[in-house]
Amino acid sequence: MKINAKDVASGVLLILIAATGLWLNGDHSLGSARRMGPGYMPMLVFWAQMALGTIVLALAFFNGPDPLEKWTGLDASMLIISVIVGTAVGLAAPYISSFFESSYGSLGIGMLAGFLVLAYAAGWRLLAFICAAMCAFCLLLEKGGLMLALAVTIGIACLAEPEHRSRPLGVLGITIFLLAMCWWIFIKQLDIRVAVWPLQY
Amino acid sequence: MDILGNLAHGFSVALSFNNLLFALVGALIGTAIGVLPGIGPVATISLLLPITFGQPATTAIIMLAGIYYGAQYGGSTTAILLNLPGEISSVVTTLEGYKMARNGRAGAALATSALSSFFAGTVATIVVAGSGPLLTSVALSFGPADYFSLMLLGLIISAVLAQGSVIKSIGMVVFGVALGLVGTDVQTGQQRFTFGIPELSDGISFVALAMGMFGIAEIILNLEKPEARSVLKTEVGSLWLTREEFRRATPSTLRGTLVGTVLGILPGGGAALSSFGSYMMERKVSKNRHLFGSGAIEGVAGPEAANNAAAQTSFIPLLTLGIPANAVMALMVGALIIQGIQPGPRMVEAQPDLFWGLIASMWIGNVMLLIINLPMIGMWVKLLQVPYKFLYPAILVFCCIGAYSVNNNVFDVYSTVIFAVFGYMCNKLKLEPAPMLIGFVLGPMMEEHLRRAMLLSRGDVMVFIERPISASMLAIGAIALAAMLLPNLRKGKEAALSG
Repeated sequence: MKINAKDVASGVLLILIAATGLWLNGDHSLGSARRMGPGYMPMLVFWAQMALGTIVLALAFFNGPDPLEKWTGLDASMLIISVIVGTAVGLAAPYISSFFESSYGSLGIGMLAGFLVLAYAAGWRLLAFICAAMCAFCLLLEKGGLMLALAVTIGIACLAEPEHRSRPLGVLGITIFLLAMCWWIFIKQLDIRVAVWPLQY
Repeated sequence: MDILGNLAHGFSVALSFNNLLFALVGALIGTAIGVLPGIGPVATISLLLPITFGQPATTAIIMLAGIYYGAQYGGSTTAILLNLPGEISSVVTTLEGYKMARNGRAGAALATSALSSFFAGTVATIVVAGSGPLLTSVALSFGPADYFSLMLLGLIISAVLAQGSVIKSIGMVVFGVALGLVGTDVQTGQQRFTFGIPELSDGISFVALAMGMFGIAEIILNLEKPEARSVLKTEVGSLWLTREEFRRATPSTLRGTLVGTVLGILPGGGAALSSFGSYMMERKVSKNRHLFGSGAIEGVAGPEAANNAAAQTSFIPLLTLGIPANAVMALMVGALIIQGIQPGPRMVEAQPDLFWGLIASMWIGNVMLLIINLPMIGMWVKLLQVPYKFLYPAILVFCCIGAYSVNNNVFDVYSTVIFAVFGYMCNKLKLEPAPMLIGFVLGPMMEEHLRRAMLLSRGDVMVFIERPISASMLAIGAIALAAMLLPNLRKGKEAALSG
């Protein structure tokens, strides 16, 4: 058997998304072909996606082999643990501090916690640190101001690159340079509406 | 007004100080990202989209367009000097261009690439100016059924021409269409797939989707690959061509321009496909085909002319029909819609400043690029010495601030993170993100036209076959799909797209 693992996964992914879509689409009235309701087009699209996913899956058993990248035991277990930790933190956050109540704070802290846990596994480290950096930006931006948010974001993002980890001074240099550049472009030139320093509002 | 009068109007728009400035900024950024491997025009345009919102629509599009064709110029520099294509569209330039550099003719290769790009750009500009109004008048006779079939054809061809499996690409297109349907239903006002999140009632943020799938996912993927960037050893040498070289390059440039102009208009076409197409053609028809592989100037002139011509003519379907031919054009649609302009055949009439200003600025941009690239080549080579580990934090913070500033809402940044993870996953599964982006942009328009067509035909599906325009679009789509089932053609496509 020449199983194409990438295509198996792709097919399953397409089918799962389509099935979820069709299930959610149950809330919308279909209407008729002549007078289409809000659910008509999604129905057509998701059935098409389901059919395509099935074809991809069926063909995957013949056009391989194309294996997926190897996951270590740590990669797999950390993925599960991070989802659990992230969900738990996200659900608990609003009870801990009112900080997380507004602007999707609990979503953000949950994602941040999940990604930081995930970063423990070497296979996920790059993805996890980059995404964690962006979540930190969202969490800090409105209450901590642009400069603080950027500094933390750059700090976390630099953890993704091994060479930066051993050179904190270099990271400091990058941070100062980028803070100055962002201030000049976004505040001085484009004047986007955002708090620049902590506790400004 | 005749074309000349319109062009004169276009030049008066494009020559205003602000538009000139932004054309220059776009050309500079385009060249820079063209030179730098690992940052493509799709990622760059998506992360600069939010910055352009404060500008008038014309200025914004002029700058974004400058990035796209600027990248075609810049990409060839690294291809020639370092055997490292800055963009996919300059992959074939490495084949002959780098050999020329090894033979001590790096300067000549760079000059050929810039001059043939410039020539092709000029011709393509004229083609866009001439065919735009013509196609528009055709497009105005299109009914909803014809539009729907045309969009379907565009989606099919973009999937057929995408790298990798056609079925998977169509799957991605369809998923893109589905994502495009999220939000408030235009006709009934019902919320679809919004999970009660108010930010989703206007639909999924286009910027978040593009930035996540292209910008952020690309950062992660680039960091995974060890950096392979050698220090420049080749001397650039004289930029002047010998008479012999000039004579050999001219016919190839002409052929490349033709190939690029035609392939650029095709849905799913664009710069990358055209440069491969032109290289294939040169290898078959050039008088000096026996020299290919050892630094033939024809192999630089043809593809470079083709990719620049295509970068410009791919604006034709966008400006006349409102249909994006490739991922970059999908971003342009996004930019226009956010500016409150619905791309389509009425744009030429309703937005003459935009249409003619953009065309004029394309030519002005090409002049700028010629100057930016040839005398200032040393500066761009220096840029290559900036390692990626210093670049990616900058790209990341630009994405964060950019995604936030669209609606001043962190929800868009969280969406970007989610799409980054999805984009990363798609890359690992060899699912192409570009067709998905086109599907996303076309999804809402397709639904509207499908609804209208079915209402007019009283629910009769046969309308798509009875109308000649619609029927021929569907037939072409079916042929394109059937052609991919033929093993020979499929292999040919794989060879062409993988270089």
